[in-house]
Amino acid sequence: MAASGPGAASTTKAGASDAKDGDTKDVQKPIAALEEDDEFEDFPVQDWTEEDTQLPGGNTHLWEESWDDDDTNDEFSVQLKEELKRVGKK
Amino acid sequence: MQSSQTPVLDKFLGEVDRIVRDKNGVELQAFLVIEPPFNSLYEAMIAEMRKIYPKGKEGALEQRCSRMLKEAGEDAEGATWTIFVKFMANYLSFIRDVDPSNLLETYNILSELQQKANSALTSPSKGLIILPTVIAYARVFARLAIGLDKNPELIAHLVVQSNSEEDGRRETLPERAANILRTAFVTCLNDRGSGSGGVKDGKPDGKKVGIYKIANLCLKILFQCDKKMNAEQIFTNIYNQSPPLSIYPASERVTYLYYLGRFHFSTGHFFPAQMALQAAYDQCLASPACVGQRRLILIYLVAANMILGRFPTQSLYDRPEAAGLQAIFQPIVHTLIKGDLETFRRLVDWDSPNAPWLMRRYKMLLQIARLCEVIVWRSLFRRAFVLTGVQGDNETRKAPTLDLNYVLALFVFLEKRALHPPERLDKFGPAPDPPPEAYYIDPEFVGADGKPLEGYHANVSLPSMLNIESKCSSLISQGFMNGFISHKLKRFAIKGAKEKGSALAAGWPKFWDVINAEAPPDCPGWKQDVASSSAGGAFGPGMVVNLSNARPVGSGPLG
Repeated sequence: MAASGPGAASTTKAGASDAKDGDTKDVQKPIAALEEDDEFEDFPVQDWTEEDTQLPGGNTHLWEESWDDDDTNDEFSVQLKEELKRVGKK
Repeated sequence: MQSSQTPVLDKFLGEVDRIVRDKNGVELQAFLVIEPPFNSLYEAMIAEMRKIYPKGKEGALEQRCSRMLKEAGEDAEGATWTIFVKFMANYLSFIRDVDPSNLLETYNILSELQQKANSALTSPSKGLIILPTVIAYARVFARLAIGLDKNPELIAHLVVQSNSEEDGRRETLPERAANILRTAFVTCLNDRGSGSGGVKDGKPDGKKVGIYKIANLCLKILFQCDKKMNAEQIFTNIYNQSPPLSIYPASERVTYLYYLGRFHFSTGHFFPAQMALQAAYDQCLASPACVGQRRLILIYLVAANMILGRFPTQSLYDRPEAAGLQAIFQPIVHTLIKGDLETFRRLVDWDSPNAPWLMRRYKMLLQIARLCEVIVWRSLFRRAFVLTGVQGDNETRKAPTLDLNYVLALFVFLEKRALHPPERLDKFGPAPDPPPEAYYIDPEFVGADGKPLEGYHANVSLPSMLNIESKCSSLISQGFMNGFISHKLKRFAIKGAKEKGSALAAGWPKFWDVINAEAPPDCPGWKQDVASSSAGGAFGPGMVVNLSNARPVGSGPLG
């Protein structure tokens, strides 16, 4: 996001802006009430069963634990390789 | 005759007496409404009271209640419930006087009423009847306390007043409100009336029914008003004395686990935080009506998991409650995977575009900045090995090694670049020297002209070899890298490459696996199903749990 975007622009004046729908709504919306802790609303019902907690496609893989990256041709690695050349790595 | 002057009030008190005799707590709560507008019956009763028992006649009103509420008198076992009479008199004054346009006054009189109801709750034989009323009032009371805290102009004079008190400590309005509710919570927690350890047929019994309902309201006040640290006592009490959480309704479980997870997050106990938040997320209702709750849980769960080296997948980001989270978290995750210290520094900087979201709204920027940095270090050491490492030789039993001079060069390169705005940098060029504003000058050594005093050398903190060796040994001692340092050769040597099949697998075990291997067995504050907990009386002195001593897994690297 550009530093001059609507989210960034309103950071100094928390609580003043109102949220608008758009691509950046999730960055923008919280800024409307930046200093406040979001309220954890009461649930519409008291109790429910385990079945009621299942989302469609509920058993999908949600967390990545094996994420090590060995790609040496990505931009970051190329950048590092350039620096290593400069410090004398053959 | 006085009774004929207040026929509605008499009838009302007669009905209350009957309800108490029937021990019907739910009906009592439905009867003792406190939120205007009241229906015509209540209005008629209020009109009677304003005429016969106006302000100042509370004593007479209490006497009237005492005469009418026979059930509060001595029972077969000789016990009385006189506090209920006081509560009823207070209730009647409340509905007579309440003016919802005056929030502070409403709060004050409701505070008194709540305390009277809390006292009535303490009766071992009859207190249970008033529990639904206590909970219903607590909901309104919590809402009012939070509302007032958000309108400081309404309570500014109270702050001034309490400042002038010489008690050494200032209790804020929300803290006081939470403390009032806490007394009801403690009454529920300590209830021995049920005689079944608080569990009957797999469900909470007696006043223990109210434990999590009231605790959650206390927690709501404390979190909304940024007094999280005061919540510790609630979690400790529950951990020591509550029946298992699993026997309570899902809404109470999920709400409680959300607050517990956030508490652990804010105190730097990320593994327990992740446990509680993951359970809250898993047990949350899947209905679209609960996207808000799911989203809040998920935001903290993502942050806790990130710190522990477990990153969201696309499937997670694609869920409705995760809308927009990818844009916030994924760039940071990307730097953790790559070891891109420069971009990491920019993303967790206080001036970064997402800092207000991460810092002020969700209060997680400092934790991410401080603790995820260790993951960046690990990845950068690993990448340095991928780019410059010397593979070992099984024949000659030579271990694979990494020249720390290269690691130092990369750290300095990235740290120097991070000191400049990215638009001023050549992506593949050398890192320019630090700009003047990056130099730290101790304010004590600044002259009148704003420049450092003669002989003072302003400093810019860049990694040194000592610093790299220190980072390396820190990563080794925490298990995030496996090997040893040769201080003389300035090399990191990897152990166990042969057994693991590769230097990378041996030198850099999976971050999450390392964390998980050291994980605490349970989450303090979360009462699990154990045989002893339903038996009652199993909580000896040894069960006292000090949450502040919980091992901060994941917070070790810099802690």
